[in-house]
Order: sequence, then C-alpha cells, then structure tokens
Amino acid sequence: MIDLILMQALLAAVPILLASLGEILMERSGVVNIGLEGLMLLGAFSGPLFVDYLHYRLGAQLPDPLWPLAAFLAAALVGMAVGLVHGYISTYLAGDQIISGVAINLFAAGAVAYGIQAYWGVAGYKQVPDWAKADPLALAAFALVLAGFMWYALFRSRLGIVIRACGEDPESAFNVGVDVNRVRLLATVIGSSLAALAGAYLSIAYLSVVTKEISAGRGFIALANVVFANWNPALAVAGAYIFGFFDALSYWLQTAGVARYEITRMIPYIATLLIVAGVIGRARPPRAVGKPFRRE
Amino acid sequence: MKIQTLSSLNIIAALALAFVIGAVLMLASGYDPASSYYSMLVTPFSDRVYLLSALAFSAPIVLTGLTFALGLRTGLFNIGAEGQVYMGALGAVIAAYFARSLAALPLAFAIGLALAVLWSAVPAVLKMWRGVNEVVSTIMMNWVAYWTVIMAVSTAFANPLQPEESVKTPEAARLTPLIPGTDFTVAVPVAYIVASLMYIFLKYSVWGYRISVSGLNPTAARSYGIKPERAVLAVFALGALTAGLAGVLQVVARPPSYSLMRNLANVYGIGFDGITAAMLGRGHPLGVVLASIFLGVMQEGARHMQIEAGTPFEFVRVVQGLIILLLAVQILRRP
Repeated sequence: MIDLILMQALLAAVPILLASLGEILMERSGVVNIGLEGLMLLGAFSGPLFVDYLHYRLGAQLPDPLWPLAAFLAAALVGMAVGLVHGYISTYLAGDQIISGVAINLFAAGAVAYGIQAYWGVAGYKQVPDWAKADPLALAAFALVLAGFMWYALFRSRLGIVIRACGEDPESAFNVGVDVNRVRLLATVIGSSLAALAGAYLSIAYLSVVTKEISAGRGFIALANVVFANWNPALAVAGAYIFGFFDALSYWLQTAGVARYEITRMIPYIATLLIVAGVIGRARPPRAVGKPFRRE
Repeated sequence: MKIQTLSSLNIIAALALAFVIGAVLMLASGYDPASSYYSMLVTPFSDRVYLLSALAFSAPIVLTGLTFALGLRTGLFNIGAEGQVYMGALGAVIAAYFARSLAALPLAFAIGLALAVLWSAVPAVLKMWRGVNEVVSTIMMNWVAYWTVIMAVSTAFANPLQPEESVKTPEAARLTPLIPGTDFTVAVPVAYIVASLMYIFLKYSVWGYRISVSGLNPTAARSYGIKPERAVLAVFALGALTAGLAGVLQVVARPPSYSLMRNLANVYGIGFDGITAAMLGRGHPLGVVLASIFLGVMQEGARHMQIEAGTPFEFVRVVQGLIILLLAVQILRRP
C-alpha cells in the first residue's frame, strides 16, 4: 500500500515540479510570473485540442506514439506564446509583472471554459481519447532529468551565472555586456512553456480529461514550492515530492473512505499553507526579481 | 499609488483593444462577433428589467472590488475575496438554519461577516508573522473555503426539498426586490454606499491616511510612528468585511432562491470579478463602482449573448482577462 502512495506521490509531483522549474528559471532571471495556474490551464486545454483538431477535423494520420508528442508540442508552443507576451510586458515595456500574471490567470480561466464549450460543445468536461494519452512515468523521468540539467545549468555553467546575474544585479550584468532584457525574455518564454507542459501532463497523461478547473490551484502550489526550494531546482524536486505526496494522500484517503471527499480535497492546500509558513524564514528571493530593468 | 497613474484614455484604449482581440478569437471559434457584442453591450440597455438586473450583478462586484482595491493601497495583492464571499454566504445559510424568523437577517450579517474576517485573518497573520506571500496564502484559503462550503451545503445545511440548494432564508428575513418584477434589491444601493463610505474613510480618516502612507512608503510610515503591520491587518479585515457582505447579500437579497447553490454557482467567480473591477477602476472606490456597473452590464449581456448569438457566456471572462493584460502593459509608463 505504502509503495502505491509513494508512486502516486511521484506522479502527482510532476506538474508541480515542471511548473516550479519554469518559475525558478524566470525568477532567477528577474521576472516573476504568477500566471502559472493559467499557463497550466492553457496547456491542459491546448494539447488535446490540437491533436483532436489534427485527427478529426484535418484527418491527419500519425503513428500512435506521436500523438501525445504532438499534444505536448502544441502546449509548449502556447506556453511560449503567452510567455512571450508576459516577458515582453515585463522587460521592454516595463509593465507590472504581478498584474500581467493575474491577467494570464483570469484570461486562461475564461478562455479554457469558453474553448471547451466552443470547440467540443460540452460544459467544461472532455475525456481525452486513448490514442492521445502519454505514459505519466515518461514525463516524470523527463521532469527529473530536467531538474538535474537545470541545477547544473544555473549553478555550474557560464549561462547560469548570466541568468542569475540578471535576477540579482542587472546593473552589473549590463555593465559586463549582458543584454539583460533579452536574457529575461528568453527565460520567461522557456519557463512559461514548462508551466504549459505541466498542464498538458495533467490532461493527456495523468488525469486523461480536460476540465475548466483541471489545474485546481497547482500553479499556486508550484509558486509556494519555489519559495520552499529557495529558488534551487534540486530542492524543487524534494518540495514537489512533498506537495505531490499530500495530493496523492488526499485521493488515497478519499478512495479509502476515511473522510468525506471534501475534507480530503482540502489537504494539499492546508499542507501548502503550513509548509510555506514553516520554511519561509530562510527563503531569499533573487534581489531584482519583479523589478523592470532600465539602463540609465 | 501607481495604479492611479493610468489615465482614463489608456483605459478606454485597453477596453477597445481587448474587444478587438476578443472579436478575432470569436471569429476563430466560429461565432459572430457583431451580434455577440450587440447582445452583450446593447441588449442590457433595451429594457428596464435588464438594466436593473445588470445593476444587481454589479453590487457584489463592487464589494469584492473594494477588497482588492484596499489591498492595492498597501501594496498587497489580496486575492482572497473569492473565499471570503463563500464564507459570508455560508454565514447567511447558517443563520437561516438556526433562525426561522426575521432574526435570521441580523444573524446572517453577524455570522457571515465574522466567518469572512476569520478567513482573512489566516493570510494576514501568516503575512505579518512569517512573511508568507499573500497571493499564495489567499488562493489556498479560497480552495479550503470552496471545499468547506461545498461540504456544509451538501450535509448539515442541505435543503431536503430542493437538492440543488441549501436551506432558504426565512421569508421574513429576505431582502426582497425594491422594484417588483426585477432583481433590484437593497443590495445595490448598499454596495454603492459602502464604496462611498470607503472613499471618505480613505481620504479623510486617520486610519485611511495610515493605510495609504504604509502602502506608499513603509519606511516613511515607520518614521511617522505608523506601524505598517497594523495597516496590513486593517486592510485584510476591512476587505473581508466587504467581501463577506457580498456573500451574505447574495443569499439574503437575491431572488428567486434566497439560498446558496450546492455547486456555489451564485457566489462563484465574484471575487475574481472584483480584481477586474479594481484594476479598471484604478483602485479608487468610486472608480470601482463605475467599473462594476460596466462588468454588471457585461454579465447581464452575456446571458443574452448565449441565447441570441449562441456564444458561450464564459466569453465575458476572456475579454476581462485581455483587459487586465492590456492594463498591465500600460501601468508601465510611470514617470
């Protein structure tokens, strides 16, 4: 039984880990994106939408394993597009990053509810066909490898120094010839695509359905995890696993009939509050995060 | 406060551009933008009943808009109005369960507002004691509220006669429409009066001044002997009072059901609409009222749009998100 929960915890951790890695990359470069929740929703919706359109409306035939890949690709591209908008607002336009993030969440909540209704003609719930499904374990492996790669890139490579400099001390980075806004824009585009991938994982690998509330606060749990992990990709793995554990635990307790499902559903959110309240003291965000950079 | 550097021209430009992008999205998904926008923005003005219904929609948005606008004053992004609305509505249902007479009305306000303030105390205390980011904590509280209230209305406070609803407010305690045959109850003037009082409070009271100074410059506030931490507490509590009021009124002053839907349909999303209203209203209490009336018209219009043009009413939220995104761009040009 316990090994089953631990396995479930891993699968529940994947979306939180992917979104956390994306946010760490963005915040390390100096851009905060609280639109993770919306990016997840858009990714969860756009992946299945794209393969459905390709298959049923355009009559495309692909070898079976390529369908989920196409869905992930579509979600990543949508994430990149939204990241480009958020990144451009946050850098060259020096707009308000928090407000832009709030807007992404509001827009995505509306767009996905509207899109499910407009495209499938159902009210907010659509099953993903079997042929489009991916193996969640493959994504779990991908997320873990990515976390290792990102840790290496951020803390052991020249590129990492450049990215972190943009988030800590953009003035100095600029003075040694770094194009701060370009680095931030690229980091935001890539980071946002990871959050959208986290959403696609939910719909085509983990839950096999698209709903208008599929992200269910996981974007904000990922934001909490970034603080928990102290902006370190390696620690983010541990954090995501803890949050995933409470997520899995809530479903397990529900199935076991220990308590009413409404109570078990609260567990991940209460756990997040407690964990964040417990560790926040030692967390230190990148110094220039959220502040637009303007050369003097 | 930086929100106020937005000129009204910028807001009009953001609205126009959002509607244009919305039209493109509608075309792409196979709906007719012209007839959709006509139903959304013109039909509500074609009939007195529709217009009063739009005002009824605006009332709770004003109150949650004040929650977010107050937060902005102190530099807080208090996204907790949504959950506090649920708790306010739950308070009204609890009152209806225990009191079967006029007494249910004052009891509804007492329990509803108390629950909402209690709900906001968690992120407030976590912020003050542990520095927990209020965006994360208020969202978590919203979800806990969601499941708490769903459970309450499906168990203890379920209506045995109508499985979709909670127990109803007793007839004597209902705030019925001021104009028969419409949705226009005392909730609408109450919301507008609360916004006016908030404006006077922020502009002329000592506490209002403390709140504004704490938000503008916490360091300066300290040197004046103002404790910014107390301002944070005050802002969370005041915001919870208005959001909780919105929740109570959605139950005791909302025909025809005077109850809370078991899927929370009659309170869901009001907190998020408040964010849009506060942004559009530039964080100013009276601006929030104007913005809420605009959003109320859009919501009333959305019903007609779904019937007349077949466009899903969720489209309204797409446009709202686009408006905020464009406002985020414009908040840029700070001097």
